[in-house]
Amino acid sequence: MMSIAARSGALSPYMQATKHTIKGLLAAGQLTPAAAPGMVRLAHTDIKIPDFSDYRRPEVLDPNKSSQDSSEARRTFSYLVTGASTVVAVYAAKTVVSQFVSSMSASADVLALSKIEIKLGDIPEGKNMTFKWRGKPLFVRHRTEKEIAAEEAVNLAELRDPEHDKDRVLNSSWVIVLGVCTHLGCVPIANAGDYGGYYCPCHGSHYDASGRIRKGPAPLNLEVPFYEFPDEETVIVG
Amino acid sequence: MKGIRGISQLSKRFYAATRSGQSLALPLAGLKLSPGAAHSYQDVHVTRLPSGLVIASLENYSPASKIGVFVKAGCRYETNDNQGVTHLLRLASNLTTKGASAFKICRGVEAVGGSMSVTSSRENMSYTVDCLRDDIDTVMEYLINVTTAPEFRAWEVSDLTPRVKMDKAQAAQSAQISIIEALHAAAYKNTLCNSLYCPDHMVGDIESEHLHQFVQNNFTSARMALVGLGVDHSVMKQVGEQFLNIRSGAGTTGAEAQYRGGEVRLLSTSSMVHSAVVSQSAAAGSSEALAFSVLQHLLGAGPHIKRGSCASSKLVHGVAKATTDPFDVSAFNASYSDSGLFGVYTISQAAAAGDVIKAALAQVKAVADGGVTAADLTRAKAQMKGQFLMSLETSEGLLETMGTQALAEGSYCSHEEISKKIDNVSLTDVANAAKKFVSGKKTMASSGNLAKTPFVDEI
Repeated sequence: MMSIAARSGALSPYMQATKHTIKGLLAAGQLTPAAAPGMVRLAHTDIKIPDFSDYRRPEVLDPNKSSQDSSEARRTFSYLVTGASTVVAVYAAKTVVSQFVSSMSASADVLALSKIEIKLGDIPEGKNMTFKWRGKPLFVRHRTEKEIAAEEAVNLAELRDPEHDKDRVLNSSWVIVLGVCTHLGCVPIANAGDYGGYYCPCHGSHYDASGRIRKGPAPLNLEVPFYEFPDEETVIVG
Repeated sequence: MKGIRGISQLSKRFYAATRSGQSLALPLAGLKLSPGAAHSYQDVHVTRLPSGLVIASLENYSPASKIGVFVKAGCRYETNDNQGVTHLLRLASNLTTKGASAFKICRGVEAVGGSMSVTSSRENMSYTVDCLRDDIDTVMEYLINVTTAPEFRAWEVSDLTPRVKMDKAQAAQSAQISIIEALHAAAYKNTLCNSLYCPDHMVGDIESEHLHQFVQNNFTSARMALVGLGVDHSVMKQVGEQFLNIRSGAGTTGAEAQYRGGEVRLLSTSSMVHSAVVSQSAAAGSSEALAFSVLQHLLGAGPHIKRGSCASSKLVHGVAKATTDPFDVSAFNASYSDSGLFGVYTISQAAAAGDVIKAALAQVKAVADGGVTAADLTRAKAQMKGQFLMSLETSEGLLETMGTQALAEGSYCSHEEISKKIDNVSLTDVANAAKKFVSGKKTMASSGNLAKTPFVDEI
């Protein structure tokens, strides 16, 4: 039994040569106690692992307790905190980005120009007033009873762009339309034409008192913008 | 929910409370064990496969497992053309294999916190991995790859040359290693004269081809043993049958070691002279070898107390009368499968070297002439048993014992049997062993300032 005979005695470690291929942290470099003439210390046994207890959670401070008992709780806590922070961060990012992007939209002074407030008391019956609104002419016409009745009685079948009068006005005594001919964009003349409404001199389009096309090359009725009556005397268009 | 679970375990908790008087270290009272059961749970199981592979394992319920592949591929099996190939093999254990690259082996073993090492002696080479119980499969894969399917890529092998030189330089620092290598080189004509370290003329000349050939010829199933600590025997058998059957056959048989007896003197300026004087003893496994071991302990096999006076060592007593300078002396014993060396190893100051060596040899002669009492013998046997049993306490020692026994005999003798064998050594056996040393042809190796050191024919 070579193992007994050769391993005994002080010189047995010199009878074989060992090479550590991959050394674990506590690799066996120590000789068997009874056979070694003294201690053989590897340099690696001097390395002290630093004490991280300042950074540890209280559940894993004790080195003799298994860390698996608290692992679920620790993991849940970490994941929850991460999840919540992610949600908050995403929300903050979205806010910042949308603020930067919306800064490129129209500024307040431009937006202010987008509405016009008109005092209706200044316009007598039968009169059409023109205002500049968003760079285009805006017709505000105070209609007479006769005109209203006439417009409401029109048969939709004979209209090129059939629209009933009450679909085009909120308050039938006031007609508010854009003064842009739907043919090629000229400005029609008020109180002119064969139908008692508007007449476009460029190509001869006749509109009635509701702004609908009756004769001529224009395909569509005059555009009705969005407007509202905050009270009896004023209208805000846009 | 924790609370509900706790409630359902109440009955278990109360059960445990009723058993609180039961000590965990004693067997359960009132439990009848069958006669074999007392020892069966921690026995060494040994199986020999038809291919010749020997598998030995011990389930010691340890949290860490150790697996070793032992191969009869020590440096005695080197030939003239590939002297030093085992040194390269020792260094090449982490090189790329067919199933895993060098990086994968290193990373894989480190990832599970394991370690891998190679130990080679003149007879055997052992590849050992240790890891935690649950990671055996991972590291086993790497171990099998390294022992059965290495690739020895040419550039990786040539990168080992600086490491060979480093190893040799470190070995040269130790006087004991130099002496022992020189001793074997002087004592034998072949096989056992090969050194554990690559000789100077072969550094850089060992190539991938040499390694491949050596592995082909020597790493065969009949010359291998798979040993495990803390593993299941059936798992080891499966691994042995499936993976370690790559090379069948007995491989090349080593030549018989021929003892010649010579002398080597390594001159240096060191004031401490290391000297070993040996002669041929007996092959390992024979009862004569056991007698030589007992003789070794009788004469003194190293200190038993740190910085003690070695009161029980005959050699130390004898040499202390010859010189007052600091010295150390112990008996040297090495047994191999077909031969052995026995003698004395002395460390002395340069001026007193001759006296020390002569005094040590006189002590051995005194034992040969019958100057041993029964009390001495009992003491020696107790020391030998103690050293042997204590070496089994560590997992490295246990694995090495199991491995060398599995390789040498294909079986495992329990420590009780070995203790009995040691007890059976008689005074006459020891005296005959000493006589064999005194009358045998001596081999000597010395190093240091050798002005006052005698030659082998002068002692």
